[in-house]
Amino acid sequence: MPQAVPGGGKIDTRLVTRSPGRKACGGRPFIWAAAALFHLGLATLAAGPAAGAEPAVARGEYIFRAAGCLTCHTDTKNKGAPLAGGRALPTPFGTFYTPNITPDPVHGIGAWSDADFITALREGLAPDGSHYYPAFPYPSYTGMNERDMRDLKAYLFSRPAVATPNRAHDLKFPFGFRFALWPWKLLFFTEGRRIEDPSKDAQWNRGAYLVENLGHCGECHTPRNFLGAVDRERRLAGNPVGPEGKKVPNVTPHPGNGIGDWSKSDLTYFLKTGFLPDGDFAGGAMTDVIQESTGFLSDEDRAAVARYIFGLPPISGPGAGP
Amino acid sequence: MRNAIFILTLGLIFATAGQAFAAEEPQNVIKYRQAVMKAIGGHTGAIAGVVKGEVSFTGDVAAHARGIQEMSKLVSKLFPKGTDNKMQEKTRALPAIWEDRAKFDAAVKAFQAASANLVRVAEAGDPAAFGGGLQELGKACGGCHKPFRAEEK
Repeated sequence: MPQAVPGGGKIDTRLVTRSPGRKACGGRPFIWAAAALFHLGLATLAAGPAAGAEPAVARGEYIFRAAGCLTCHTDTKNKGAPLAGGRALPTPFGTFYTPNITPDPVHGIGAWSDADFITALREGLAPDGSHYYPAFPYPSYTGMNERDMRDLKAYLFSRPAVATPNRAHDLKFPFGFRFALWPWKLLFFTEGRRIEDPSKDAQWNRGAYLVENLGHCGECHTPRNFLGAVDRERRLAGNPVGPEGKKVPNVTPHPGNGIGDWSKSDLTYFLKTGFLPDGDFAGGAMTDVIQESTGFLSDEDRAAVARYIFGLPPISGPGAGP
Repeated sequence: MRNAIFILTLGLIFATAGQAFAAEEPQNVIKYRQAVMKAIGGHTGAIAGVVKGEVSFTGDVAAHARGIQEMSKLVSKLFPKGTDNKMQEKTRALPAIWEDRAKFDAAVKAFQAASANLVRVAEAGDPAAFGGGLQELGKACGGCHKPFRAEEK
């Protein structure tokens, strides 16, 4: 039964039947896939995939960029290999260390089936059935369509395997107990891919998918409650304690606290180059996001993001605009 | 003998010049530094207006690119020791600049290269290449502003 979610389209909440051996998630309407094909066909062309690459890999590379996988799964600070994980993510709950997502069969995800990969993104479950902490933004990725997930996996599997072992998270009591994630998910996690809102046009729906699912903007820009769940009432209204303890700005179109005095082209230009409307260049974590993710998007996709963002309800927030 | 006097005089001139620079008031250096940075920001802001299509002065972007390139040559000396945000007010320059000066200098070099490239693509007049050049410049700006500038409070 599709259920409306605030500020967005609809999320398909049908529970996926999972047999002990687990199988791929349920069927999906053909029309959606066709629509995605159309959108991403354009996008992939604009992104200029490597010549001669497998279509799934080339398409997956674009998804990979839009989903911003690289910055978290690479320990740039300590010169770690791309996607080999190990980046420390300090949070109020302790420090998470991102895992290796290269195709190494032992330390990476090389032994994963497509179904394993889809289950991780859609349900926040590891192949051994254990729950992921929502530091991995599966509450956003759950809304991805299956083709995007498969192509993303194809791209990741085309990257060099790196045998870097994963590092255990260093969490404060009581957050180290993984089983507590089951009730957490019950309370805060809505599983299911995004269903387009038929009352809105294609550009808005594409923007919603990019912002809420692939781009997972809210994972940083939305405040979290004391249990680390994003506060949907204050969607994208800024986070006083973001990743690494830093303040993350309000990006709703609120004129005082958000980016209400920006034009749509101010935003698309910022997402492409990193320059703020006044010509200044913001530092901080968004620099990586622009250089590794939004800078690679097609102009059409950046316009869709701006369309969606400026259609959000303006919320006055703690984090003043950038 | 004449040579000796010449060298001595030269040495004296350099010594005084060095001293004069060292005697520069940190707050005045910071003020000047920020004025130069604002000049760069003024040019990037003006370029943005053209690229976004708000104004049609496409012929101006090369002049702005050259302005940025000129400023990029000044940056390195704007950061003498003792002008960080631990020792001085009204600045967001982090002590990391002096703790890892080699990295800072490399980042400044990258900025100079990116602005020189921006001049090239601007003079060539190809909007797509110019867009790419701007992205390169943005990367270079981030190369300093991310590791070496404190975030706004």
